[in-house]
Amino acid sequence: MTLDFSVLVPYGHMFVQGLLVTVKASLFGLSMGVVIGVLVGALRVVPILPLRALAATYIYVIRGTPLLIQLFLIYFGLPSLGINLPAFVAGIIGIGINSGGYVGEIVRGGIEGVPKGHWEAARVLGLSYGQTMRCIILPQAVRNMLPAFGNEFVTLIKESSLLSTLAITELTMVGQQVRSVTYASFETFLLVGGIYLLLTSVAGGALQLLEKRWQVR
Amino acid sequence: MVAAVEVRGLHKSFGALTVLQGVDLCIGEKEVVSVIGPSGSGKSTLARCICCLEEIQQGEILLHGERVDGGRLRNKAMAHLVGMIFQQFNLWPHLTTLENVCLAPVRVLGLAPEAAQERGAALLERVGLGNKLGARPAQLSGGQQQRVAIARALAMEPRIMLFDEPTSALDPELVGEVLEVMTDLAASGMTMLIITHEMLFAREVSHRVIFMADGNIVEEGTPEALFLNPRMPRTKSFLHRMSAHFGTALVAEEGGRR
Repeated sequence: MTLDFSVLVPYGHMFVQGLLVTVKASLFGLSMGVVIGVLVGALRVVPILPLRALAATYIYVIRGTPLLIQLFLIYFGLPSLGINLPAFVAGIIGIGINSGGYVGEIVRGGIEGVPKGHWEAARVLGLSYGQTMRCIILPQAVRNMLPAFGNEFVTLIKESSLLSTLAITELTMVGQQVRSVTYASFETFLLVGGIYLLLTSVAGGALQLLEKRWQVR
Repeated sequence: MVAAVEVRGLHKSFGALTVLQGVDLCIGEKEVVSVIGPSGSGKSTLARCICCLEEIQQGEILLHGERVDGGRLRNKAMAHLVGMIFQQFNLWPHLTTLENVCLAPVRVLGLAPEAAQERGAALLERVGLGNKLGARPAQLSGGQQQRVAIARALAMEPRIMLFDEPTSALDPELVGEVLEVMTDLAASGMTMLIITHEMLFAREVSHRVIFMADGNIVEEGTPEALFLNPRMPRTKSFLHRMSAHFGTALVAEEGGRR
């Protein structure tokens, strides 16, 4: 068989559109995931048992269920509670909540990776728990977290393809649409896969750059 | 006069392991006290209890007449009373030496950043690191890091300084510079409790030396009395082992006196 990518050229603008939607969804989803994740991760180590348990449960449930089901619950399930969200909003919330669980675990690991002596030195010097967390632990934890965080970002970009199931015209959905009119399945999905690879490479590379710049030792 | 440190009947255990079994200790203002003893004797735990890093099971700890155990005192008041130097320095690696020293004065004492920096620079100068204000801990030797840690503790102007084996993690050639700073500090009239294995230093700098074993104070006295004329068999055997290790006669030979 021969591959003929030229049949895709007339649909170039659609791929660009889809790419933009994927990037937007990933960035919004990640932002939300980071906010939730830092909160959940910090609660995970707080010296108050009920809060710790709450954060642990969140992480347990989120990581133990498929993102697809979480998306379905938000988009198809919530309307029965009278909450109707536009598909794109539901998708970002779903990705954010999901990613929050994973980021939370990364944040916890980053915090716990800071030697106990740093807490003790801060405590003897009179710094409060919050001050210690803000000024001493989190800045170091962030550096510890970066590699795992890079993985999470890459995973999230790939998983955003599930948004096609909510009829959001992101990259994967565009691929399906183009395939259904051109019948050039192989070419279409090779292209779509290539674009994802490009995206994840850029994201991974950017984080590696950040990692290098922030290295202390 | 109220004692700088007063420990009464201190019991501390970690689960089933009893580490301190009824320690009584009194340190006067401006007194320099060294604690020696085999590892596992509870020396470090004693220091950690005094600065409230450990919860205690029984007993009382008073610093300048104020009861501090059980988190009775707020962070700031506590930091004004006592500073602690750790074996592992515990500098914060993401901050420069000056930032390490200035953080607590700004955040806890509410000092203006400029005033804190002035204080920090002066203290770093005092420990011989006036040219390292912008360095990160990783760029410093162990001895330099420990001196930064001392400056950091002094920046809170504590009335008592605790040293938990301050030179144990250092290469031998770096020990001297830290002990020198501590000697100066002692000469300046700071109340100091020093947990150490540096016998010669303890003998030179201390007003009083305490020998601990198995969670108890076995013997205490002036450096001369304890090193040259120990009364308890445990003290004797410990000192003999130490002098064999260091190759120095810490203790007068059997029967002989100086």
